[in-house]
Amino acid sequence: MTEHTIKRFEDELTALKEKILCMGGLVEKAVRRSMKSVLQVDPGKAQKVIDRDRAINALEVEIDEMTRSMLALRQPAAGDLRLVIATIKIVTDLERSGDLAEGIADAMLQTKDHPIIHTSSLETLAELVIEQVKYALDAFASEDFEKALDCVAKDKKVNKTFKAFQRENLTYLMEDPRQITAGLLASAIGKNLERIGDHAVNIAEMVIYMVKGHDIRHVDHKTAAALISGELSED
Amino acid sequence: MSTDTNNKLTIRDLKLWYDDFEALHGVDLDIPSGKVTAFIGPSGCGKSTFLRCLNRMNDRIPGCRVQGDVLLEGNDIYAPDVDVVQLRTHIGMVFQKPNPFPKSIYENIAYAPRIHGMMQDGPDMDALVETALKKASIWDEVKDKLKQPGTALSGGQQQRLCIARTIAIQPDVILMDEPCSALDPIATAKIEELMDELKQEYTIVIVTHNMQQAARASDFTAYFYLGDLIEYGKTTDIFTAPKNQRTEDYITGRFG
Repeated sequence: MTEHTIKRFEDELTALKEKILCMGGLVEKAVRRSMKSVLQVDPGKAQKVIDRDRAINALEVEIDEMTRSMLALRQPAAGDLRLVIATIKIVTDLERSGDLAEGIADAMLQTKDHPIIHTSSLETLAELVIEQVKYALDAFASEDFEKALDCVAKDKKVNKTFKAFQRENLTYLMEDPRQITAGLLASAIGKNLERIGDHAVNIAEMVIYMVKGHDIRHVDHKTAAALISGELSED
Repeated sequence: MSTDTNNKLTIRDLKLWYDDFEALHGVDLDIPSGKVTAFIGPSGCGKSTFLRCLNRMNDRIPGCRVQGDVLLEGNDIYAPDVDVVQLRTHIGMVFQKPNPFPKSIYENIAYAPRIHGMMQDGPDMDALVETALKKASIWDEVKDKLKQPGTALSGGQQQRLCIARTIAIQPDVILMDEPCSALDPIATAKIEELMDELKQEYTIVIVTHNMQQAARASDFTAYFYLGDLIEYGKTTDIFTAPKNQRTEDYITGRFG
C-alpha cells in the first residue's frame, strides 16, 4: 500500500500493528509455556506464565489507548478504519487467551499432590491449538486472509479432539476415584485450550475483515469463501 | 453502475472538452431519487465540471463541448428544444460562496417565483416565502427582518437563504457545489442537517472536498479522478471497504 500523506499517521499505524504482534507473541509464548509446565511437570514455568500475564494486560491497555486516540484524532477510513476496528477486537481476544494460559498454569500448580498421569491427549490438543494461535497471528502479520481461513477451518479438528479428550478423561475418572482431582484439573486445562482456539478463530475472522472487508462471523466455511471471492454479496 | 432505487438522473457516456482538453472521459452514473449523492476527488478531477453538466452550467463557457446523455426522469436535458431557464427550475444550484441577491431577504425568495410566473405578490407569495425559509431552517432567524438585505446575514445564514431561494421554485434536484467550504463547523452542521431533511422531497447532489462531510451527509458517494468516475457505491461501503485501490488510497489519505 502507498504511504500515507501524513507521515505521523503512517508511523502510528505501523506502531499499532507492531504492538499487536508483540502482544500476540507474548500470548503465544504464555500458551506454549503453560502447556510445557503441565507436560514437563515444571512449576517454575507455570509461575513464570502467571508473573508475565501482567505484561499482556499492560499491552491491552496501551493498545486500547492508541486506537482511541486514532479514532478521535485521525478519523481513519477504509483499510485504516478496518485495521483499527480489528485491533480493538483482537486485543480483547488476546488478553482473554493470556488469562486462559494463566488459568492452565494455575491448574498445573494445583496438580502438585495430584499429578495428571495421562497427558498424551492433552498434548495433541495443545499442539493443535498452539498452531491455530500461530496461524491467526501470522495471518495478521502478513495480512494473509487465506491463512486466516485455514485457522478458522482448524477449529473443527480442535473441537473434535477436545471432545475425544473429554471422553477419554471421563473413563479414567470412572476407573479410579483417586484420579478425580487430577482428572478435573486436566478437564479444566483442556477446556481452556479449546477456548484459546476459539479466540484464535475470532482473531482470524477479524483479520479477514481487516484485509477483505467481509464479516464472516457466524457463517459456514463455504459461505465465507464465497463472500471473500465476491461470488456472494454481503446483502 | 446503477443503484436499486429509482433514478432521478441517468448519465450515459458523458464526455466534456474545454477546447482540446478532455475533462471528462465518458462517465456513466445513475443518481437515485430522494437521496444525497456526494462527488469526491482531488482538485481538477472533474467533479465540479460533472456537477455543472447536470443543469447545463457549462453551456456558456467558451470552447466547452459536451457529448453523451443526461436524462432527467428519462428526458434528455441537452435536447435542442429544452429551455435552459426552465430546466434550472427543475434542477437548482447552490454555490460554494453564498451569493444572495443584493435585495431584501423576502425578495431573494420571491424573485424567482415571480419572474417564472408561478405566483403574484400577495398572501400566497408571503406563504411561499415563509415555507421556503422554514424548509431551509432559517425562518426563525429572519422572520422579524424580512425587509433587511440578505447580504447582511452571516455566511451560514446566507447559504441557507440561497437554499431557500432554490427551494422556492420547487425543483426536483438540488445541486450543491462545495456549499460549506466557506462556513464554520456549526453552520456546516446545520447545512448537513438540512440536506438530510430536504432529501425527503428533493434529490440532492453535492460536490465536496471534505471527505468527512461526504461520509456524514451522503447516501451514495462517487469518486472521480482525472476525469474518470473511479468508483460509485453506498457511502458506507466506500468509506469502510472500497473496491478500487485508487479509491482506498484517496479515502485513507495516501493520495499522491
